[in-house]
Formats: sequence, C-alpha cells, structure tokens
Amino acid sequence: MEAQIKVKRFNPENGAKPFFQDYSIDVSEDSTILDGLIKIREEQDGTLALRCSCRASICGSCSMKVNGSAKLVCKTRIKEVSPQGETVTVEPMSNFPVIKDLVTEMDSFWSKVKSIDPYVKTNFEPEAEHIASNESMTHLLGVMNCIMCGACVSECTALEVDSTFTGPAALAKAYRFVADPRDEDKKERLGKLNESSGVWDCSRCLACVEVCPKDVAPMERIVKMRDLAIEEGYTNTSGFRHTESFSDSIKKHGRLDETRLALESTGLLNISGLIDLAVIGIKSLFKGKIPPPLPHKPKEADKVTNIAKRLDSEESEE
Amino acid sequence: MSKHDLLIIGAGLAGLRAAVEGVRQGLNVAVITKVHPVRSHSNAAQGGINAALTDRGDDWEDHALATIKGSDYLADQDAVEVMCREAGEAIIELENMGVIFSRDEEGKLGTRAFGGQKKARTYFVGAITGSALLHVLYEQSVKYNLHIYEEWFVTKLIKQDGKIAGAIAFDIKTGQMELITAKAVVLATGGAGRVFEPSTNALICTGDGLSLAMQVGAPLMDTEMIQYHPTTLAGNGILLSEAARGDGAYLINSEGDRFMEKYAPDYMELASRDVVSRAEQTEIDEGRGVDGCVYLDLRHLGKKFIEERLGYLQEVALEFRGIDLSESPIPIKPGMHYIMGGIKTDLNGATNIPGLYAAGECANVSVHGANRLGANSLLDTIVFGRRAAVDSVEYIKSAGSLNVDERELSKEKSRIQNILDRPKGMRSAELRNKMGTAMTKGIGVWRDKDSITEAITKMKNLRGQLPNVFIENKGKVFNTDLVSYLELEFMVDVAESICHGADKRLESRGAHFRTDMKSRNDSDWLKHTLVQFAGEELNTTTSDVTITDWQPTERVY
Amino acid sequence: MKFAFYPGCVARGAAPELYKSTMLVVDKLGIELEEIEKAACTGAGVLQEKNQKLGDVLNIRTLALAEQMGLSIMTICSTCQGVISQANHRVVKDPEYLAEINKELEKEGLHYSGKTEVKHLLWILLEDIGIKSLQDMFNIDLSSFNFAPFYGCYLIRPSDALGITENPKRKHSLDIVIESTGASATDYAGKTRCCGFPILLINQKNSLKMVAKHTGDAKDEGADAMVTPCPLCHLNLDGYQAKARRQNNRGKADLPILHLPQLIGMAMGLDAKELGINKHLVSTANFIKSIKTKVS
Ligand SMILES: Cc1cc2nc3c(=O)[nH]c(=O)nc-3n(C[C@H](O)[C@H](O)[C@H](O)COP(=O)(O)OP(=O)(O)OC[C@H]3O[C@@H](n4cnc5c(N)ncnc54)[C@H](O)[C@@H]3O)c2cc1C
Ligand code: SF4
Ligand code: SF4
Ligand code: SF4
Ligand code: SF4
Ligand code: FES
Repeated sequence: MEAQIKVKRFNPENGAKPFFQDYSIDVSEDSTILDGLIKIREEQDGTLALRCSCRASICGSCSMKVNGSAKLVCKTRIKEVSPQGETVTVEPMSNFPVIKDLVTEMDSFWSKVKSIDPYVKTNFEPEAEHIASNESMTHLLGVMNCIMCGACVSECTALEVDSTFTGPAALAKAYRFVADPRDEDKKERLGKLNESSGVWDCSRCLACVEVCPKDVAPMERIVKMRDLAIEEGYTNTSGFRHTESFSDSIKKHGRLDETRLALESTGLLNISGLIDLAVIGIKSLFKGKIPPPLPHKPKEADKVTNIAKRLDSEESEE
Repeated sequence: MSKHDLLIIGAGLAGLRAAVEGVRQGLNVAVITKVHPVRSHSNAAQGGINAALTDRGDDWEDHALATIKGSDYLADQDAVEVMCREAGEAIIELENMGVIFSRDEEGKLGTRAFGGQKKARTYFVGAITGSALLHVLYEQSVKYNLHIYEEWFVTKLIKQDGKIAGAIAFDIKTGQMELITAKAVVLATGGAGRVFEPSTNALICTGDGLSLAMQVGAPLMDTEMIQYHPTTLAGNGILLSEAARGDGAYLINSEGDRFMEKYAPDYMELASRDVVSRAEQTEIDEGRGVDGCVYLDLRHLGKKFIEERLGYLQEVALEFRGIDLSESPIPIKPGMHYIMGGIKTDLNGATNIPGLYAAGECANVSVHGANRLGANSLLDTIVFGRRAAVDSVEYIKSAGSLNVDERELSKEKSRIQNILDRPKGMRSAELRNKMGTAMTKGIGVWRDKDSITEAITKMKNLRGQLPNVFIENKGKVFNTDLVSYLELEFMVDVAESICHGADKRLESRGAHFRTDMKSRNDSDWLKHTLVQFAGEELNTTTSDVTITDWQPTERVY
Repeated sequence: MKFAFYPGCVARGAAPELYKSTMLVVDKLGIELEEIEKAACTGAGVLQEKNQKLGDVLNIRTLALAEQMGLSIMTICSTCQGVISQANHRVVKDPEYLAEINKELEKEGLHYSGKTEVKHLLWILLEDIGIKSLQDMFNIDLSSFNFAPFYGCYLIRPSDALGITENPKRKHSLDIVIESTGASATDYAGKTRCCGFPILLINQKNSLKMVAKHTGDAKDEGADAMVTPCPLCHLNLDGYQAKARRQNNRGKADLPILHLPQLIGMAMGLDAKELGINKHLVSTANFIKSIKTKVS
C-alpha cells in the first residue's frame, strides 16, 4: 500500500528553520511507522536522521510524535493511525531540544534520572541473595518495564512550564527504589522527592499514563510516593495539606468545602498566599459566585461519613 | 586526545560489567558506545540467565555437561568450566546490585526451564531479563560515575609497536573525530546479526568489533556457527523467547501434532536449538507447515500465567501479529539469532594482540562451540566481561607509556572525508539487503558446498562494489547515512569470514549442518576454524579443541 | 431522554452559572434530569491519592444509586466524568474487586452490576442528541467566531477508561460541537493539556504558567473565547487569568472563558445574561457586545 508520511525536518548546519517534508512510500499492510521511516532513509533520502535499533519496542530509541502525541514508532503500525491512507505526521518529541530532524537531545532526561540516585542502596553485603517476596519483585516489574524512551516526558504538562520538574520517567524510576524492599534509603529518598521539583509538582494530568508504551503508569507511582512521603512523616508541604483537607472534607461532609480547602492548602501562615485568595474571593463575591460558607452536603451525608470511617480504619490496620 | 588506562568499546552487558570491574580495580576506565548504554542489544534478551547454584542442590558440572553437549563438543572445556563455576557468584552479585529476579515461595531466586537442559536453572525477570540486567548495570555505572562516550562510533583500532594503543572514534552528534588512547582495549561490541536478513538482532548488531579486531590482526574463530532460533516471526524476524517453551509451550505442525516427539522424544520442545530448528525446517520442507511456518502454542498455559511470566511475548504477539497467545497459536519459523563464532580469546578474554581483549557476543572463548544453549549468552557476557577487566590490570601496569602518532587521526579523517566526497552512486542499503539475503540463502539452517561457494562469490562481488556506494548526507551532525555505510564495511568483513569458516569445515556439527556431509567427524574435525586477514585476502586455518573431562559421544535429545 | 444527574459540587458552589445554564439548555434539548441526591463527591483524584478504595467505593456507590434509578448518568464536569469513569473501569475489569466493593455497598442496601453508563453532556450532545438535531435547535449564526476548545485532562485521558477506543469521536468532541454552531474551533497546542488547577494550591507559579500559556496561545491564534466542559478548568482559566498573564508577560486577561452549556445556549439564541456569561471574572462585556452586533 501507499503511505503518505509528513516529517518535520531540521538541520542545524544549514541555518534554515524547521519545515515539513512530504514523502510517499510503498509499504506492506503490517508495516510500522519505523519501517516506513527506514524505507524513506534507505531508498529516498539519506539525509533523514532518526534513532532506532531493536524494532521490537524494547530499546527505547524511537519515541517520536505521531499525529501530535508521543509513540514508539516501531510499535505503531501505519494502518493503525492511518486506516484510510491519511497522511501521518511525524515530529521529534516535545520538551527536548532537537539535534537534527527526529533526533532529540536527551541530556536533561538522563541527568534527571541520575539525580534520583538510581541504584539500590544497601548497608551490607549479604552472603547470598536478599530474601524478598516474589510479589514485591513482580510489583517492581511494572516500573522495571520502563525502557527510558522519553515519551512521557515529551507529553508532560508540568515539564512544559517548568523544566526543573523531575518528570515522570525519573520519578517512576525513583519509585523502583522506594518500593524495592532491599533498598535501605527509603526515608531519605522520599525526603528528597518531597522537595520542590519533586512529587508534588506533578499536575496529575495523566498524559504520561496515556502515552507510556510500557504501561509504567508514572503518575500512579508519583501519587503513591506522595502517600508514602506522608507516611514517613513529611507533612510540611502545601501538597500534603491540600490532600488532607480535601479528604477530610469529603469524609465529613460528603462533598467538597472549597473555602476550607483553599485556606488549609495555602497554610495558615502563608500571608501573601491568603491575600491572593482573598482577592479572587472578593471578586467572586462581587460576581455572585463565592462558595457558600457551609459545605454542601448530599442527602444522607452520614452514609458517606460512615463508609469513610470504615475504610479509613481498614487502611490504618494494614 | 583523551587518555585512559582501559577503553571498553561497547556498553552492553559485557562492556558495562567489564567497566564496573575496571573502576573497582582502580583503573581509569572509559566506555565508548554508538548508542546510549540502555539501548544496547543486551536489552532484547528475554528468557533468562543460567547458573547452577550449589546451595539449592544444583551442580556446576551438570551445567557444564549440558553446555558441552549443546555445543556438540566444539566448546573448549576449560572455558566452559570457568563459566559454569563462576555462574553462581555472578548471579548473586547481579541480585545484590539490584536485579529484581523472580523468586520462589521462600523469597529466594526462582528458576524456569530452558532448552538443552533437564534441570531448571535459568534465572529470570519476567520476559525482560536482558533489559532488567542492562538497566541495573547502567545504574551501577551511574553509581561509579563511569566515564561514557555516549553515541560515539569507533572506526578503527590503533596499535603501537605491535601492542594495542587505543581507538579512533567520532561523536555522532557533532561529527567530531578523536584519537582516544588506552593501554588496554576491551571489545564488547556484541553480535553481527544484521549480516543476515532477516534476523532477530537489532539494527545496530553489525559486527563492528569482529572487523575491527581482524583489521589489527586478530583471528575470528568458528564463524560458521550461526544459530537459527526456533521461534521467530516470519518477515521481520522478531524473536519469541525460548522461555515460552521453557514454561511449557508446545510446537505443533499444520496437522496439530507435537512433532518434536519424532526428533527428540526425551527433551521434546526443549532440545538444543539447532535440533529444534532443523526439526521445524524438516516439517516445513515436507509440507506440514503453513506459509513457511509451524506453530508455537501457549494456550494451555492460561492468560494470567502468560501475562505475568511472559508479558513481553504477549505484547510482541499482539503488536506485530494481532494474536493473543492465550487464545491462538502463533506461526513461527527458525530465524538467524546468534553468532557462536567470534574474536578468539583465551580464558581471560585476551586476544593474540597484546592489550586487546574481547568479551560477550563478539568474542569466542569458546563456551558455545557449535551451538549455544539458551540463557548461556548473558552468563558469558557477565563472567568474561569481568575477567577481561581483571586480567587487564596487570597488563596495564606492565605496559609502558603510550606515544601514539597523531598522524593516525588525520589519516583516518581523510579516509572518511574521501568516502563522503564520493560521487553519486548506489545506496548502502541496497548492498546490505543483497548481502543479507545471500547469506541467509547460502549459510542457512541447511548448507552445502554449492550454497557456500555461491555465497563466497557473492561476498567477493559485494566487496568490490563498496567503493561505488555514496553518502547522500554530507553533514556532520547525526549523519546516520555515514554510520550505516561504515557498518556495512564492517559487515562485509564478517560475512566473508562466515562463508570461509563454513567452507572450511567439512562435516556437520551443531548449527553447521551440511546436507552434503551429514555426520559429525570427530577424528578430523574436533577442531576450531580460524579466519584471519593475510594482506588483503582472508586466510583460513584450524586449531585444536580443548577436551578435559568430557569425551565426545553421540548427541541425542 | 432521561438521565440521572450528577452536577458535581463546583457547579453548585463556585460556578452556579454552569448549573443554571445547564438547566436552560437541557430543557431545550428535551433532556429530563433527576439528580442523584445522595451522591458524594468523586474525590477528584485527590482523595484517591490518600485512599483509592474509599474513592472507588464512593464512586461505585454513585453508579449503584443510578442503577437503582434505572438511568444512565449525565455529568457536566470533566473531572467528575473522568474520576467516575476510572473507578468504573477498574471494577469492570476486575470482578473480584467489584465484589469486594459491593460488600461495602450492601451495608446500605445497594448493589452495582457494572452496567451503568456515565456520560458527560458533551458526549450526550454528540451521541444521543446527534449533531444534526442539535443544529436544528440553533438559531444564531456564529460563523464569524473562533472558539478555543479546552477539554480538561480527565475527559480525554486515560482513553481506555473513557471508552475513546470504542467512540473515537470523543477525542474531538468539543471541536465537533464548536464547529456545529458554525464557529471555527481554534487550533492551538494547549487544548488537550492541563489547566494547572490541581497544583494551583501546591505550586501556584507553575499552575499560572499553564493558564497564561493556554489562554495566551489561544488568543494569539485568534480565539474570541475559550470553551470548556470542566468547571474546575474554568476556575483556573478564568479566575486566575489576570494574574497569570501579568506574571508571565502575556498581556492582559482578554480571553473570556465559557462553560460548554453557555456556548450551546448562545447558539440557541438564549440570553447571555440568563446564561450567566456576565458572571465570569475575565470581562465578557466586549464579547457579549460583539455577539449582539455581529449576529444582528
Ligand atoms: C532477541 C534476543 C533475545 C535473546 N535472549 C537471550 C536470553 O534469554 N538469554 C541469553 O543468555 N542470551 C540471549 N540473547 C543473546 C544475548 O542477548 C546477547 O548475546 C548479549 O546480550 C550480547 O551482549 P554484549 O554485551 O556482547 O553486546 P550488546 O549488548 O549487543 O552491546 C554491544 C555494544 O557495543 C556497542 N558498539 C558496537 N559497535 C560499536 C562501534 N563501532 N562503536 C562504538 N560502540 C559500538 C554498542 O553500542 C553496544 O553498546 C538474546 C539475543 C537476542 C537478539
Ligand atoms: S501526570 Fe504528572 S508527571 Fe505525568 S505527565 Fe502529567 S504532570 Fe507530568
Ligand atoms: S515511563 Fe514509559 S513513557 Fe516514560 S520513559 Fe519509561 S517507558 Fe517511556
Ligand atoms: S470531582 Fe470536583 S467537581 Fe466533581 S464533585 Fe468532586 S470536587 Fe466537585
Ligand atoms: S484541565 Fe485542569 S481541572 Fe480540568 S481536568 Fe485537567 S487539571 Fe483538572
Ligand atoms: S526501535 Fe527500539 S523501541 Fe523502537
């Protein structure tokens, strides 16, 4: 079949701006986008640059944006994104500088991975293997599946506005150690992750979960680490207060008490934060949309409160 | 010009294991790799890594015997002994570094069965063992703050007074070429699968190290020993690990029969790979296949089991064939997978060139002989990667200071420039595809005098055409067009060597099955073949196999 | 056409104009609503961070309440929609888990079979009303307008929980609905991104950068207003637009943010004031004026 591929090109050596180039190639029904790109490079245009190696979604080389979202091109069939022969647009990943064409500079990615101390820390050398349950190891398999392809980073909405954010891949990697029963540095790790640019800066947008080709679900790991950090006693963050007061409000009233949430999250001592909220509050009042002073309760709110009580005690028993 | 004690070319398992050891030994180590370390092909290993752990009643001698029998008695038995003895320690060390090996009920390391062995001694991480190991070794490289030249391509090794003195390489990102001197060099460049088409190997497995070694005068050994893996996808050659059969999957033909009954009644699907691949090919040739394939059947294992232990296989089956392994059998066929042959080394990875070592798939110690057992290759990389670094310590101490002629660099620069300056001609991919199909045809599961001779002629021709290849991309930044061409040059050396090894060996043994000489001939051919450059020409000789405790007997599975 | 209605608390608290405009619009559409009065908040994903099971029980409870009513659920908030869908997806995938949750619900005499459908008003327009019939109800030509769609994360991710594979149009639903009014849907990078609301109280600087970027980009691409099916996005994009733009040097707050039913109502010819379009913090005066002049 004939495939139309539009590739974003960029060559730092000729001073020209990035531009799109159209290619038309003959491929088989089950060809992947990578097959297509390789064909272009080998038969039509030797100047096209891209990274690829395994062709089997395991080396992590070939993340690119396909029709706007990051994918492993070796794992994506042309037919899948272009059932009717529509043009497929391929661009380099976002949130990374471009070196040439589809090749991005991943230095910042690796330095973030390095920043989380990515190796198991133990204080002693056992005689034989560490004893660990198969369950705990199988659980880690979920994060160990990460092939460091960068797709999640390309999509991360928090990184887009703040390049210091540690980002989904490195944080998922951090979880691999935090949740490893052999690692003895858990508390220190969580302490560091609790600081700015760490777990609380994720905006929970789910973009990383959506694009990860290996089902690593970075956001879920991040959220889990927030909880673990709280368990370890790291509670002096507005993130913590936000979560606490939100949960409390639901447990007590069944629905959300926005006023209280705002005040408690900002921290009662954060004067400028409070003034800030006050400004919006007054404006809202003026427009007739200030939240009512009492939390809205659903009918029979006690039922909700009961469930919350039961499940809360269940959790603390665990 | 950068200076190191020890330069390791390759950041797969062999390279990284060597590097970690070098740092631990206090050497100034650098690693150079054409892709980021975790992109190295070691990540593709799915099934596992073998070891006989004595504390759970296993015996290294049993592992050694299985390996030697698997090798069809071509492995050097002293080398096999070293590997199997050190295996236990190697696995424990990997676990201590952080590998999340699967566990048994007591929380100790758990195993799965693998081919060619009765005892289940394969340690594993789901179906991503290679990746899990490689990522952990990369973690160690961060811990030890290893100096890594990432995405640098080595084009040439440098010698001084007959001894190794470093390498010339360029930074793929900038095109900047440098002379990197080192008192010792470990080649850990991995396999050469792309010499064939198709292959289970990644696109970067182009045998660079084999050619680099040959060019400085090191011989390649047993190059004719090419492993065809029994379960690969038709077309793109992607692998479905032996772990499937290790965990109980069946092979069935178009009539639904478990045909291995006829060929290996005792071991069934878990006979040696060469045996299983030939059985499949026979079924296919005799008309009991479908579209050139037979089937791998996992249905009876159940979805949960498949997803937990063989998750990556399920992913590959779904993505590339739209098949759910728990619901239908998947068509597979024998496909080129591994090169047992490689740079000849001693038990410490040393080659005949002082200061030059080799380890991993590019080396031949030889532990795999005429057929490698599944899950022995990862072990090979870890054990001999480490040994090479250890051995280099003494050598480096004794090696005098280096004084490399800077003109080596300008000579290499102008060689590359001349390539870039060639007028419009043919594209390198065209030649590479010709080479790949010719090699698969000539040096296949079956081979004979005619097919080998034809392949030799074709490779000679191809070599002649190399100067007609042109590089369309003239730039310096990320010029993959140039890299592909340089890889093709390496591959032609390797391809020709493979043909010569095959031509030399006048018998059938392990993976080298000649339809014109069907039996093993121990009286004349308990020998290694050696291929080496003599000027411009390739010269083929032989050497003896080391036999210690295990006398060759007939091989039945 | 009748649905069990889950308004979510924002529509009842901070964004009463959403509630009101929804009521006006569903009336015209001929949709009858019965509010699930006993339903709790979805937990907005925040509760789930602390206690996922509690969150799941509360949401499955809501689904069970609807099942009791024999109705599918309509939501008007991307966040509510997403969080309920995710809980639903988890139990439908895993019958054992569902049984565990049902055990909790039994204490209240409730049971969930796994069959309740949950749909955002946006999808109902597309799938139950249909674009054709919808257009028949429009009286005003908005073809000279440009509206920037802003979906809200939870209405498009994760796609498996939201049934996007089975209903691929959901991915572009807001663009389709905007275009059905005759207006153009502004194409800009931010439409499927995050508004920053979840980190507003944690990392305000980053949150406001998001607001500034999306509203600024949409404006640069020629948008007259932005439309969102999520009142939480609205809170941030509207309430903090002025500060966000100022802090990030993206000019003045000049992009009105509309709730989805406000757009629909406008196209139907309902009065802007009735729809509460004047209730937003970013001034809508010019926008309302331009509608009046352009269409008449
Ligand atoms: C699909 C598949 C599955 C497998 N499964 C198993 C298994 O289950 N068990 C098992 O034991 N074995 C398995 N094997 C075999 C095993 O994975 C390999 O033999 C082994 O990993 C090779 O490791 P290595 O370190 O020698 O080389 P590689 O991991 O291939 O690394 C080679 C390195 O050399 C570098 N390099 C190469 N050329 C250059 C150059 N010119 N300049 C700079 N750098 C260069 C590369 O960048 C790379 O870092 C499998 C192989 C395949 C293909
Ligand atoms: S969920 Fe968090 S980490 Fe994941 S993409 Fe969104 S902001 Fe980034
Ligand atoms: S988490 Fe997923 S998307 Fe992110 S780097 Fe790892 S594999 Fe890629
Ligand atoms: S999810 Fe949000 S809008 Fe929906 S009910 Fe809960 S807090 Fe209110
Ligand atoms: S866009 Fe904003 S409020 Fe809306 S769902 Fe995402 S984060 Fe939530
Ligand atoms: S080429 Fe390796 S992941 Fe795509």
